[in-house]
Amino acid sequence: MSTPGRRTFRQTLGRLRSRHILHAYLFIAPVILLFGLFRILPSVQTLLYSFFKVELIKGRFTFIGLDNFRDLLTDEIFQRATLNTMKYVVTIVPVSAILGLLLAVLFNAKFRCQEFFKAVYFSPMVTSTVAAAMVWWWMYNPQFGIFNVLLKLVGLPEQPWLMSSHTALTSVIIFSIWKTLGYNMIIYLAGLQAIPPQFYEAATIDGAGPVAQFFRITIPLLAPTTTFIVIYNSILAFQVFDQVFVLTGGGPANSTNVVVLDLYRQAFERYNFGYASAEAMVLFLFILGVTLLQYVYSKRYEVSY
Amino acid sequence: MLAIALALLFLTPAVVLAGAAKKISLWYPAGDITAGAAHFGDKTLFTEFETKYNVKVDAVALDYDTMQQKIFAAAAGKNIADILFIDDSWAPGFLKEEMLEPVADAKAKAWLEAVSPEIRTLSDYGKGRMWGYVQYGIDVYGLTWNKDQFREVGLDPEKPPKTWDEFRDYAKKLTKRDAQGNITRVGYAIRHAGQPHGIVHKHFWAIYGGGAKLVDDHYALRGGKTMINTPGGKAALQLILDMLDVDKSTSLNFPDPRAAFLKGIAAMQISETVSIRARQPKEAPDLKWGMALPPVPKAGDKPATNLGGWLYTVPKLSKNKADAWKLIEWLNSPEKDYDLCKKYNASPRYKVNWDKEPFKSDPYNQGLKQLYPSGIKLPINLGFNGVMDATGAAIQKVWHHEASVDAALAEAERLGNKSLADATK
Repeated sequence: MSTPGRRTFRQTLGRLRSRHILHAYLFIAPVILLFGLFRILPSVQTLLYSFFKVELIKGRFTFIGLDNFRDLLTDEIFQRATLNTMKYVVTIVPVSAILGLLLAVLFNAKFRCQEFFKAVYFSPMVTSTVAAAMVWWWMYNPQFGIFNVLLKLVGLPEQPWLMSSHTALTSVIIFSIWKTLGYNMIIYLAGLQAIPPQFYEAATIDGAGPVAQFFRITIPLLAPTTTFIVIYNSILAFQVFDQVFVLTGGGPANSTNVVVLDLYRQAFERYNFGYASAEAMVLFLFILGVTLLQYVYSKRYEVSY
Repeated sequence: MLAIALALLFLTPAVVLAGAAKKISLWYPAGDITAGAAHFGDKTLFTEFETKYNVKVDAVALDYDTMQQKIFAAAAGKNIADILFIDDSWAPGFLKEEMLEPVADAKAKAWLEAVSPEIRTLSDYGKGRMWGYVQYGIDVYGLTWNKDQFREVGLDPEKPPKTWDEFRDYAKKLTKRDAQGNITRVGYAIRHAGQPHGIVHKHFWAIYGGGAKLVDDHYALRGGKTMINTPGGKAALQLILDMLDVDKSTSLNFPDPRAAFLKGIAAMQISETVSIRARQPKEAPDLKWGMALPPVPKAGDKPATNLGGWLYTVPKLSKNKADAWKLIEWLNSPEKDYDLCKKYNASPRYKVNWDKEPFKSDPYNQGLKQLYPSGIKLPINLGFNGVMDATGAAIQKVWHHEASVDAALAEAERLGNKSLADATK
C-alpha cells in the first residue's frame, strides 16, 4: 500500500505512460544517447585534459593545473593564430552577409533563368570544401592560375596570392566568402519572402522610393535573419580549418595559421593533447562569448508580423 | 553416413583453421611520395615470404599528409599495424611517445657493420642504437641542372657551380624574361611555400654549408640548443634574398622547385635527387640533367647536404612482433637488397652489393656515391619539430620581406630553443 502524497514507482510509470511522456523519452533516447556519447562526453574530456599533461600512448595523465593556459598567454604562434582568426571572422562575417543580402534582393525579383543562377550561387555550399580548395589552389597558382591570367589581360600586376605572407590570408578569405555566399543568399531570400507585401504597398502610397523602402522596411524586418546569419557564420568562421589546411597549411610564416589548425598541430603533430585541449577551451569560450553577446544584442531587434 | 557427415562438419573448420596463414599488416604512404613506397603496390613483392613462412602480408597505403597522425591515433586506440614504414624525420615524435620497438643489439651491430657508411649514418640513433631498418634508395639532396639550358647560355653543361659566387653568377645567366621583363625561367628555383619542414629541407645545404646548425647535437634526444642564429645562418638566408632582390635570378612565383625544373622553367634546383630520377622519365623524357653537391660559400669549404630515408619499424603495440621482424629481416637481407634494388632501379645498402653490377657502373648510382659523404642526417631531438617550424617561418619571413634576416633568425632561435626546452619536460 502506498503512503498518501508519495507515489509508487508503478504509479509514476503509469502516469508517464498515460501522458505519452515515456514514449516521447523512448523516441528521443537514441539521439540523446548518441549526442551524449559523441558531443557531451568528448567536450567534458577536453575540459579535463586541458588541466593535464596528457601522454595518450603511455596512458599517463599528470595534473598541471592552469599551466597549459599560462603557456598559451606567452605562446607567440598561438597569439598569431588568434589574431588571424579574429581578422578572418571580422572580415568574412559582414562581407558574406552583405553580399548574400544583395544577391537575395536581386533574386527576389523575377527574371529569366533565375533558378539556374540561384543554383550556380548555391553550388559552392554543397561542394566539398577540400575539393573546392584544391581547385582554387590551382586558380591561385602564380604561374598558371586563372586569376593572374585575368590580371595580366587587364594590365594589372600579377599577385603571389597564397605564396606571400602579405596576400595569403586575403586569398583564403576570398575563397571562404565564395563558399558561404550562396547559403546566406538562400536564408536572406527566405527572410525577404516572409515580409508581408502590405508594408511595401503602404510605403509606396506614402511616396517612399525603393532605396528608402530597402533601408526603412527590408533591413529592419530582416533583423532576425541577420542575427541568425551573423551568429551562424561567426561560429563557423571561428572554427575555420579545412580551407586553410588545404590552401596554405597555415603558412607562409604562420600568416594564415588559425586557432583550430594550431590546435590540430599541437595534438597530432607534437602530441601535446593537454595543450591542444586548452586551446580548444579558449576557442570555445570565445565562441560562447561572441554568440551570447550577439544573442542578447539581437533581442532588441525582434520583429513579428 | 550421418556419423561421417557430422565428423566432416566438425573437422573441416578445424583443419582449415590449422592450415590458415597468419596475417600481418604493413602501413606505407600512398602515391609517389617516395619511390620506395610504390614497391608495396607490387603484388608479387611478398609472395616468396608468404609461401615460405605461411604468413600473409597485408600492405595498406595511407595518405602521406595525414599518415603520421593516423599512426598516432591508431596507437592511442591500441589497434596499429605490425610494421610501420615511416619517414625517418617522424621517428623522434614516435620515440617521444615510446612507440617503437628497438632493434635487438646484436642484430643492430651486424647491420651497421655490413651496410655502407651513409646507411650506417641513417640507421644509428647514437651508440649503435637502432629503431628500424633503413630502406634501399635513400634520399640525398643534390644540385640538379638542365644541361641544354646551360649550353644555351654558354655555360659548360658538365661543370656545375661550386661556390656561392659562381652559383649566383650562373643563376643570373640562366634567368629568362619576356618582353615586359617578367621572369619566364628562373636560374634557381626556391621552395618558400607549404609545410615549413619542406622549406628547411630545401635550404639545408646553405644553412649547414654556411656553418650553422639546426640543433647543436644531432644525436641527443633531449636538451641542447639551436645554432641557427649565427653568421652562417644569416649568410644562408641572405644568399637567397640577394638572388631575389639584387640579381633577380629567382622568384617567389616558382614555388615547387622540382616541378619547375621538370617543366623547364627552372634551370637549377636543389632537392631529393631520387625524386628527379623517378619523375624525369615520365614528366620530362627529353630532359638532360646533371647532379652534383650543392655549392659552398667559398672554394675549399666543406659541402653539406641532407640525407634522409624511410624506415621499417615495429610498434610496441604490434600484435605479431615476431612475424613483423621476420618480414623486415627477410626484406633487408643482402640477397633481397640486391634483387629488389636491381628490379626497382634503386641504390643498395650493403657494401657488398655496391661492388656488383649494375650498381658498380651505373652513372646515377655512382653519382650518388659522390654526394653521400657530405650527407648529414637530421637531428633526432624530441623538440626538433619546433625548431623546423621556427626556422621555416624565419626563411619565409625573410624571403617574403616581412622581417630582416637578423630579426627573423633571432625569433627562430627563441622559438626553437623554447621547443627544445619544452621537450625536456
